[in-house]
Amino acid sequence: MKKDDLAEFQEDLQIFLIELDEILADTERNLVDLERSPDAALVQEVFRAMHTVKGGAATLGLDDAVEVTHTMESIMERVRSGEQELTSEMVDALFHVLDWLKMWKVSLEEHIDSPPAEDLIKEMQRFVLEPHTESAKVKTRPADGKHTLGEELNQKLDEYLSQNMPVYEVVVKFRPDADLLSVRCFQVFTLVSEAVDVIFSEPSVDEMESDDVGDVLTMYISCEDGGEMARQIAGSVGDVIEVSVTPYKPTNAPEAGRESPDATVKTSSLGRTVRVDVELLDFLMNMIGELVIDRTRLTQLASRLLVDKDTAVIGNELAALASHLQRTSQELQEGIMKARLLPLKNIFSKFPRMIRDLANRCGKQIDLEIRGENTELDRTVLEVIDDPLIHILRNAVDHGIETPEERRHMGKPERGKVILSAWHEENQVVIEITDDGAGMDPEALKRSAVNKGLVSVEEAGRLSEKEALELIFMPGFSTAKVATQVSGRGVGMDVVRTNLERINGHVEVRSRLGVGTTFTLKLPLTLAIMRALLVECSGCIYAIPTSSVEEAITVSKDGIQTIKGKPTLLVRGRIFPFVSLEGVLNDDPWAHQHGLQYAVLTRSNGEALALGVDDLIGEEEIVLKDMGKMLARLKGIAGATILPDGDPALILDVNRLL
Amino acid sequence: MSETRYFYEEDSEKGTERQIVAFALGSETYGVDISQVREIIPIQKIVPVPRAPDFVEGIINLRGKVIPVLDLRKHFGFEKKERDDEQKIVLAESHGESIGVIVDSVYSVLRIPEDSIEPPASVITGDDVGYISGIAKINDSLIVLLDLSQIISDAESRTLKEIDLASAVVK
Repeated sequence: MKKDDLAEFQEDLQIFLIELDEILADTERNLVDLERSPDAALVQEVFRAMHTVKGGAATLGLDDAVEVTHTMESIMERVRSGEQELTSEMVDALFHVLDWLKMWKVSLEEHIDSPPAEDLIKEMQRFVLEPHTESAKVKTRPADGKHTLGEELNQKLDEYLSQNMPVYEVVVKFRPDADLLSVRCFQVFTLVSEAVDVIFSEPSVDEMESDDVGDVLTMYISCEDGGEMARQIAGSVGDVIEVSVTPYKPTNAPEAGRESPDATVKTSSLGRTVRVDVELLDFLMNMIGELVIDRTRLTQLASRLLVDKDTAVIGNELAALASHLQRTSQELQEGIMKARLLPLKNIFSKFPRMIRDLANRCGKQIDLEIRGENTELDRTVLEVIDDPLIHILRNAVDHGIETPEERRHMGKPERGKVILSAWHEENQVVIEITDDGAGMDPEALKRSAVNKGLVSVEEAGRLSEKEALELIFMPGFSTAKVATQVSGRGVGMDVVRTNLERINGHVEVRSRLGVGTTFTLKLPLTLAIMRALLVECSGCIYAIPTSSVEEAITVSKDGIQTIKGKPTLLVRGRIFPFVSLEGVLNDDPWAHQHGLQYAVLTRSNGEALALGVDDLIGEEEIVLKDMGKMLARLKGIAGATILPDGDPALILDVNRLL
Repeated sequence: MSETRYFYEEDSEKGTERQIVAFALGSETYGVDISQVREIIPIQKIVPVPRAPDFVEGIINLRGKVIPVLDLRKHFGFEKKERDDEQKIVLAESHGESIGVIVDSVYSVLRIPEDSIEPPASVITGDDVGYISGIAKINDSLIVLLDLSQIISDAESRTLKEIDLASAVVK
């Protein structure tokens, strides 16, 4: 098929590609689970998934993918029928199919030639005895849509009605000449049954799977919305030409005949979601920022009017208007922030396969459990945490979980376990990675740090257990005795921590020797909005993200002591080198110290630092703005924001200030 | 908002003329092709950016966007000038990046015949060849034609260079 011809299928193709993403991710996970323990339901699911992809590809005339998925389907068929057991070798081959499908998807999106499939098909056919035959058959059956319901079904439907659960008959008509009616049927059935309770379908799922279908699908469903949802869902599937929904009448009620015309919709492929360019969202955010500024001006105007008795009435009205505008713009802002959120599933979905491959390579047996994958985060945060998560998971597989023999010795189950969980906590998202592996030995960490010259023997001796664990975040630290293929790639946990702190996130570690290790990541919901402490320094206002602020204090002259001539503050027994913000920004940290009233206590790269400022203005929610390429890489400056009065202000990156 | 905005249309019929926005810088007259100018706004609060190269005057808020502003006087090595109401910020956009440049005053939009433009003499441009695109003679006065997109990319590479130098020193 020529690529040009794809143009007319563009809309169908888009929907198919979006679906494909999900199907591939689910299948990958199912295969990982299947390899661990055979499960007929999962085999069935993988089989169906391939069937759906095959159907979609066939409708779009993409023959290479039809052939590839058909071979995979055949293998799954043999597993399903019990003719063959699913071996690791087969799972590897099946993964190759998924990899191929991923490449194939990219080729469709970018309008380039699809990847070659011959070798893959050969590899697959090793597992199937009979050569591949006709990939899809369509069987016709009478399309009158009339059939008598069995006595049993009638009783079942009446039962629903007697419990005040309305029942509807949904009749879906397909284009009779459509390719792969069974696939379409199955698609409608699956989508509808995800949304509502399907009591009965004709043809049945088994019939659909054996291609025993006609161009009509009849379902009896129970739902509360008059069948509207089912109607819309069915209408969104390709090749559907008509969907009619009729309330089911109890058997003892008089026959009312078909009264469907008003309930019939013509099919449309428009879903209820749209894709929006992130840039458009950013633009909308900017516009809202403008609204907020205008609102501030209105408030100021109102207060001027309020002073005079003659204008106080107008002033009051204006003030009320301004506060309404504030609520509106706040809700707009929240709405747009929500539109930018994506579920963690987007990055979690590749981990089961990754862990499985890594574990195989290390000769370990590891189960990955994922919880809370529907927790949502801003896409920019998702992008930043992907690499750190991969790194931590690799470490868990490589250094955390022991080999089966070691585990047996320890009296642990041979299979190790890694749990990846995510949840919301206040205004943050927490991600935890827990393994039940060997844990980390604080003493070994100390020795290693001393050997590498990172700390002195005395310093190491003074470290508490918790502090010793923190050593892994030091640049140049890596516990692996030998760099392995899996995790020793020169990137350490220090990079993980810096990357997370750059986005105002945080990572902590807990570990017990022999029991396991837990990494806890705390992340902001979004990068675009953060809380910050506003400070003034030589006439300019700067924003310091509160995530890196410990405390802001008043400085008295006698509170400042010197160590080797350098000023320091002693706060509750902790020593903070005291520098002026102005000095730091002019790359002369110890200058401009005179008359500083306040100090902001921060942690810069894990080290305490007191920043002297002229004034503390307060804590605000600020919106991070890009300053353009020209100023993007300035050291210690994370970006800019716009203050309520409309002035721009710089946001400091405390970690890179010095 | 009390902004002066100029909107122009491409004049494709007359290939022999160019429309430029003419402005003053010191005692000299400069011009920028109209297609490079997005708008011209009055001078407003500019917040300085520490650690930025010295020709970066600071940042402004333009309808919710933060935009860097360059001082062309500093860029050309002219002496510093006190702020006054005549000064304007000329906003230019290139490759999706917006910048503003401060100029002493904006004269008007001029149509100049293509044949009055001469390529710049290398003696005058020195190393800055890139962003001087030509010299126009109108009656007896000269207008130096600037290529703002060159100034943007030049400024970008200069900031990057300074940053790299700074981090090299730190190491």
